[in-house]
Amino acid sequence: MPSEMDEFVATAREFLDANATRRSGSADLPEWGVGEDRITYFSTDPPEVDAAKVAESRAWQRTRYENGFGWVTGPRAYGGRELSTLHDLVYDGLEAEYDVPDTGVLSLIGLGMIGPTILAHARDHIKDRYLPAMYRGDAIACQLFSEPSAGSDLASVETRAVRDGDDWVVDGQKVWTSVAQHAQIGLCLCRTNPDLPKHKGITALLVDMSAPGVEVRPLRQMSGGADFNEVFLTGVRVPDDHRLGEVDGGWRVALTTLMNERATVGGEGAGPAARALSLPFLTELLRANGRLDDGATRRRLAELYADQAATEYLNHQAIRKLRAGTQPGPEASVSKLMYARNLTRGAHFAAEVVGPRLIADTGEWGTYSWTELLLSTPALRILGGTEEIMKNILAERVLGLPKEPSIDSRSPFRELRRSGTAGS
Amino acid sequence: MNGTGTGTAAPSETELGELRAAVRNFLAAKSDEHAVRTAMGSERGHDEKVWRQMADQLGLQALTVPAEHGGDGLGLVELGVVLEEMGEALLPSPFLSTVVLAATAVVASGDVAAAERLLPAIAAGTLTATLAVPDHAGSWDVGAGLRVTATGGRTGAVLDGIAPIVLDGATADVVLVVADGPDGPALHVIDGDAPGLARTPLRTLDPTRRMARLDLDGVHAEPVGDPASLTAVLDRVLDVATTALAAEQVGGARACLAASARYATERMQFGRPIGTFQAVKHKCADMYTRVQVADAAAREAARAVDGIEGAPAAGIAAAVAHSVCSEAFMAVAAENIQVHGGIGFTWEHPAHLYYRRAKASQLLFGGPAVYHERLLARVGV
Ligand SMILES: Cc1cc2nc3c(=O)[nH]c(=O)nc-3n(C[C@H](O)[C@H](O)[C@H](O)COP(=O)(O)OP(=O)(O)OC[C@H]3O[C@@H](n4cnc5c(N)ncnc54)[C@H](O)[C@@H]3O)c2cc1C
Repeated sequence: MPSEMDEFVATAREFLDANATRRSGSADLPEWGVGEDRITYFSTDPPEVDAAKVAESRAWQRTRYENGFGWVTGPRAYGGRELSTLHDLVYDGLEAEYDVPDTGVLSLIGLGMIGPTILAHARDHIKDRYLPAMYRGDAIACQLFSEPSAGSDLASVETRAVRDGDDWVVDGQKVWTSVAQHAQIGLCLCRTNPDLPKHKGITALLVDMSAPGVEVRPLRQMSGGADFNEVFLTGVRVPDDHRLGEVDGGWRVALTTLMNERATVGGEGAGPAARALSLPFLTELLRANGRLDDGATRRRLAELYADQAATEYLNHQAIRKLRAGTQPGPEASVSKLMYARNLTRGAHFAAEVVGPRLIADTGEWGTYSWTELLLSTPALRILGGTEEIMKNILAERVLGLPKEPSIDSRSPFRELRRSGTAGS
Repeated sequence: MNGTGTGTAAPSETELGELRAAVRNFLAAKSDEHAVRTAMGSERGHDEKVWRQMADQLGLQALTVPAEHGGDGLGLVELGVVLEEMGEALLPSPFLSTVVLAATAVVASGDVAAAERLLPAIAAGTLTATLAVPDHAGSWDVGAGLRVTATGGRTGAVLDGIAPIVLDGATADVVLVVADGPDGPALHVIDGDAPGLARTPLRTLDPTRRMARLDLDGVHAEPVGDPASLTAVLDRVLDVATTALAAEQVGGARACLAASARYATERMQFGRPIGTFQAVKHKCADMYTRVQVADAAAREAARAVDGIEGAPAAGIAAAVAHSVCSEAFMAVAAENIQVHGGIGFTWEHPAHLYYRRAKASQLLFGGPAVYHERLLARVGV
């Protein structure tokens, strides 16, 4: 077992050395006062810059895939390696030492969530058709789940799918759909039987985003850019073989996606935000602003660092459990909550240190650039299940607390619509 | 990961699980709430029979004592399991003072004679001991002067002064004392019943953990170890002690969380369990999150202190754990009272015992202002 892992590491290292540049310096830290003065989380780039970055992501994913690192855990039949999640994490750790394009546009939703869902629920020829294309970087997938009146209460989706011969005809509206503007396919939750209770009348369909009747309209985020979208579906025809799971059995399919979502969101240890909030960088921030000897500021820095380090330890523990063959438990939700909290506190800490130079761009390095992070962190408490929903899940599923009395889980969905109790 | 572990292998989860079960069963039988309250009100503050049984039946005092001195030579990962259970049960015991503070100081001092004299008896459960660091601030800041001075030569020193707050100071059979001597601060050992030593038990915030004031007036002492290495010795003791305490704090916090979750499920108001109200439910989820993060910090610190491969630097991980676990236990102990409402504020309910333990533990080695600065110092800021 260890020698097999050593070999994996060696080949990964060889691949990375041949195809990428190792970051200079000992750690992957931006040097204070040097280089691009940006702390990006969501994109704030104009569409043409965005498109160029997406092209780079696709190209790097293809290189990975062709060398056996595109889908480390996936089945061989679809170009995977059938290795463990641990191998995947080890590879990510190695890759973080290199300067490579960020592939979040492909991986966060498509490869991280939709891919595993297709693998678990689609027919074989659909898997053949889409999985290799996704992991090769050709097909970007989006998650067509949330709707204007179905957010936390996702089982209240209203987008209709009606059977017509071998096809389904889909009509409705999705919202907050990340990466839809770049996507080739989308996994769409549709209401197929309103006479059943809300969880029981949903069907999951894989929609071709270039099909007639699919219209993607970008939504501008508070952070400035437009990563997410509204998606209008008007008479969109989806062949029945693009259905995942059973007719009216889409909720089970959605749960597969959501489980993978929680696992993805908590574990983001790399990226510009993590680097900016690392201790060495924050120390430089304090030094540059003459705050390194200020007791109150030091206290807050220590608190921030202690929580970051403990969250990292929690992630190490999850990895060790994986290594020992135990499936990760509720740590993923805890990490997600902590991740959002640490980033949010970090951004506000930096803001306090920078002071008025955060409210107006004086051009001074390392000051106004914190606005990007500050304006991104509110999303972390919402996306992938809000903080409140996560807490409900931890309390009910882990601690065994009783559920709230629910009025809408048993009645037919149609009646809820009429009485106005769904999706509120 | 700034891996500095020397490559020690981690103990298996199965072994740790067996140890945990043994300690848990023992404490369930010997240290239920009634036993804790009885010990609390007793003169010595702990049940000496339980102390002996801990040694005879489970060998807990021997766990981390080096094998050459009659112990099992295990590490903080194992000891952490024991302390977590003790913290959960609120066991009143001179374990932290004897096994953690005193034994670690003796081992770290490298003084073979002292080790041979003290460690086998500690391991056997026949000797209790403690460590007094009588600095002015109560934060182990020995550089700023000490309230006990040592005079005399290498074979026998004489100690004078005051150690204002000493853990289990009134009952310990021997006391290790850091005193200012001719070569700077140095470690000494005195007998608990030495002539010239007056020990005054103090009223304590936490009745499950006894403290005493020691007045030393010409007390005969033996030097322990080389004064030149004292700073390193105390750093090691602090890393071990805060890591051990972190495990105990996690155990206490876990007990509070379990009590709240249980009560939220049982207590009915407005015709439904209070746990269905989100204000209560989310409090419990927040408590759970804090406990999980604290647990991870305590475990990682134990691995670091044991030098397990891939673990972070011991000084950093111990300081992280001390800060995170202190705050988590305090927060969870306070919320536990809130979840229980009026009953939680009564003397007869155990919630206040955890609250007292949480605050006293948080302040034991200096408190937030000190541990935050210590953490920054350890990471070089
Ligand atoms: C940046 C970003 C990207 C996103 N990307 C996608 C995507 O790609 N695909 C997709 O399908 N969705 C996506 N989402 C949508 C996201 O999943 C939803 O926003 C989220 O689930 C919350 O739904 P909502 O916005 O309708 O808020 P609501 O559900 O209306 O919630 C409003 C408030 O009420 C609280 N609340 C609701 N129900 C409860 C309850 N039972 N108990 C306690 N509090 C409650 C919430 O916690 C929140 O504070 C994205 C969102 C963001 C911000």
